[in-house]
Amino acid sequence: MPKRILSLFRNLFRKRAVEQALDDELRSSVEFLTQEKMKHGLSQAVARREALIELGGIEQVKEEVRAVRAGRFLEDFARDGRFAFRTLAKSPGFTTVAVLTLALGIGANTAIFSVMDAVVLRPLPYKDPASLIMVKESIPLAGPEPIPVCAPDVIQFQRQNQVFEAVAAFRGGQFDLAGVDEPERITADRVNANLFSLLDMQPMLGRTFTTEEDQPGHSLAILNYALWQRRFGGDPGVIGRTLTLDRQPYTVIGIMPRNFVFPLEGMEQGHTADVFAPMGFTPEELADVGDNFNYSVLARLKPGVTLGRANADISAIAYRILQTYPPQFRDRIKLGAVALPLNTKVVGKVKTLLLLLLGAVGFVLLIACANVASLLLTRAAHRQREIAVRLALGAGRLRVLRQLAAENLLLALAGAGLGLLLAFAILRGMVGWMPANIPRVNAIGINSTVLAFTLVLVLLTGLVFGVEPALASWRTDLQSTLKEGGRSAQQGLRHRRLRSALVVGEVALSLVLLVGAGLLLRSFERVLATEAGFQPDHVLTASLSLPETQYKQPQQIRAFYRELMARLEQLPGVMTVGASTDLPLQAGWNHIFSPEGGQPPPGAGLNLCWHSVILGDYLQTMRVPLLRGRYFNQQDTPTSTPVLIVSESLAKRYWPNQDPIGKRLKWGPPESNDPWLTIVGVVGDVKQGPLDAPTVQHTYEPYAQDIVPASALNVAMRAAGDPASLAASLRVAVWGLDRQLAVAQVRTMDEVISESVAPRRFNLYLLAAFAALAAVLAAIGIYGVISYSVAQRTHEIGIRVALGARRGDLLRQVVGQGLLLMAAGVVIGVLGALALTRFLANLLYEIKPIDPATFIAVSLLLATVALLASYIPARRATKVDPMVALRYE
Amino acid sequence: MGEKRTDLLRGTLDLLVLKALSLEPLHGVGISRRITQITKGAFQVSFGSLFPSLHRMEERGWVEAEWRSSENNRRAKYYRLTSSGCTQLKVEERDWDRVVKIMAAAVQST
Repeated sequence: MPKRILSLFRNLFRKRAVEQALDDELRSSVEFLTQEKMKHGLSQAVARREALIELGGIEQVKEEVRAVRAGRFLEDFARDGRFAFRTLAKSPGFTTVAVLTLALGIGANTAIFSVMDAVVLRPLPYKDPASLIMVKESIPLAGPEPIPVCAPDVIQFQRQNQVFEAVAAFRGGQFDLAGVDEPERITADRVNANLFSLLDMQPMLGRTFTTEEDQPGHSLAILNYALWQRRFGGDPGVIGRTLTLDRQPYTVIGIMPRNFVFPLEGMEQGHTADVFAPMGFTPEELADVGDNFNYSVLARLKPGVTLGRANADISAIAYRILQTYPPQFRDRIKLGAVALPLNTKVVGKVKTLLLLLLGAVGFVLLIACANVASLLLTRAAHRQREIAVRLALGAGRLRVLRQLAAENLLLALAGAGLGLLLAFAILRGMVGWMPANIPRVNAIGINSTVLAFTLVLVLLTGLVFGVEPALASWRTDLQSTLKEGGRSAQQGLRHRRLRSALVVGEVALSLVLLVGAGLLLRSFERVLATEAGFQPDHVLTASLSLPETQYKQPQQIRAFYRELMARLEQLPGVMTVGASTDLPLQAGWNHIFSPEGGQPPPGAGLNLCWHSVILGDYLQTMRVPLLRGRYFNQQDTPTSTPVLIVSESLAKRYWPNQDPIGKRLKWGPPESNDPWLTIVGVVGDVKQGPLDAPTVQHTYEPYAQDIVPASALNVAMRAAGDPASLAASLRVAVWGLDRQLAVAQVRTMDEVISESVAPRRFNLYLLAAFAALAAVLAAIGIYGVISYSVAQRTHEIGIRVALGARRGDLLRQVVGQGLLLMAAGVVIGVLGALALTRFLANLLYEIKPIDPATFIAVSLLLATVALLASYIPARRATKVDPMVALRYE
Repeated sequence: MGEKRTDLLRGTLDLLVLKALSLEPLHGVGISRRITQITKGAFQVSFGSLFPSLHRMEERGWVEAEWRSSENNRRAKYYRLTSSGCTQLKVEERDWDRVVKIMAAAVQST
């Protein structure tokens, strides 16, 4: 056997020498035979001829020897490949279109599938994710959504449970990281020491903290890989060094590996943590019973424990905790607990979008395959004659089949190669561009399963439609095929029907996609057109957070902001300056209040509103219109009457036909002892939440009257010119007061709006891209079919022109053919869209899934496209010179 | 011969070639003549079958070839049986015996 392999290599790599040796051998054999025959008396010429006959012909014998040579299979394969390449190169138009179509289908499909795989399908990046759950508490009166856990309850869950292997709490916050270069705002999570073992993630360098260190006073920090690379240049020497978080020194003890991502979006509001510190519950925190529900809890189920049993267990614990509350609290709070599997929490929101994309990609792939199939069928028809000739000349049927298969294989590989490059490019572009709410964006990479699947699909299409003509020719009578000039009428008809069917399908699919994109587009427009309630142009914002350790006294906090406002107002180019605890379009939460003497809305339980504390000329900076009364001013001091500004919707709801100025309300339920606040102004409604969420009732309070002044404020400045130009001066002003304070989230309000609609815009662009691609491919499909039909009927057209048919009639007839195909496709597509768009419903805003305007517009668009695609080849038909056409076969 | 080549025929050809070479090295034509000789003129091996067979056996290492000058002072490619070729000859002879016995028994029975 090894000798055989040696021969194989020799045959492949020293082919010329091998062939030469064979040639020499055969020639010398002929010499011998000639000599032999000459001995029998024949002349040299005759002897030589006889010798050649006896040998059987030098070339023939060579062929026989080659046929049994080791490596024959590979050689044939290579030869088929080279031949296929040459054949394809001879028809560059077809090859280019086919390869590009394939590349588009494969590339787009692979890219999106890879996203789906990383985000939806692949399990979460922790050990055994199916057994991970989030433990949450619930207070029915405060809302239907479960809430995080309070500190003392964490301990109770940890101690009393019987269903969990491990329970770990975590809580994130924004901290100012200082020490190196500019101070930066980062996310840091306090976590229980057992979190890392719960997730089964070990640090890449250094260590994590022990249970003994999970106590107050241990200022240890573990860095996340990204932060380590970005801020510390990946220097392993950072272990043991100190970094400053909110002015407190922390010792770095470990670095987490690159693939460690915690917490995930959906587990907790906010971003993944850059730094991990020990939870270290303080005694004050542990005494905070029934309040400050701020801690997230992750737990791992014991093997064999069901979700139902876990729920029962923790509900029982919650009940026991409830019994320890004072009786009057018990009725209000009604504490409960619920266990939520991690998987559903993280992925839920994004599922619709990704399924939508999956559908879109699937459609595009189908259309691409249909186009390729169509191309192959056309080509097959052209080549019928060539194949018939080859078969007649004695080529083995298997051989011909193999050659056709090699061509298709080559096409598929070229398309796949290009498609792969395209997929890389798409992913690279997408990742930089995706909104932050798509989980685990970092984990997205090309998925080999998907690639393989797509490749198989394409290969199948190629083989079936490409080899079909060869198979068909097995059955046809060679003679008649050659005589008819290579066109079998019956097969031609079948092909034409098939191609028409393919095109109709393509049109239908692209219509569905275009309708989807159209609906998203209209929703997007509606969102952008929504009255935001303020004027975002020319406004710069930034977020500041004074650390508690440095600013212990309220007067320190007030002094800082007062001084900052004064300095900012002096800056050149600044018109007005203000600050607020909340900017528009961000999150907020409900406060309970009780109006005095006003009309409580019918059937309502609690009166709820959102609330902000504002400083300086915040409302004026945002140009929130003043409808009644006044803005806050110098008169509102800590000692003057506590005042309030309310939003229009709140005023209308509680004091419908009265002047709300002078009316009062207070925080808490009617029996609370909070001071009454007097309304001094009514302003227009502002979208404090996302643009596509309902407007929320809102109240504003002057900073001066806030008992505990907020240490974190958003500064807003209205500029005379370009707001971005104020950024540098803002930083200078802040650092002039406190060099270690991070100036975070410096953005113009326009950018804030843009960011808030970024997810929606992303969905739109993506679907629109697919829809456009589908439409283009479908147009190419129509063009191809009509074009071919015209070419086939050139002969017939020539006769008709010669017999006096008008060009206009011809044009109309050909275009009519195209429109018929399109009409069929549109009808089917509309039916499909009617059925499918309901799945888009939760991505739409103010637009119904069956929006007539969109359907009509898209149908018209496709009709125009089809018209154009038919018109161009139709014109060619009219230009046919009858003399040429009559001679054309 | 066409594309088809029966295995039985190829098998017997290999045996004859090995047998022919068992006495002394020969070149292609010479092997053909020797086979005609040892079969007492019954088999005329066509070169279209002989050369593929020879080359296949050479690839397998049963025969070795070298270029030598022949009796006419002409250069020719001479084939020689290798040790594994000798072994193969014995194997083929044994197999052939077995086949002959089986076929004889099968044909004789009614």
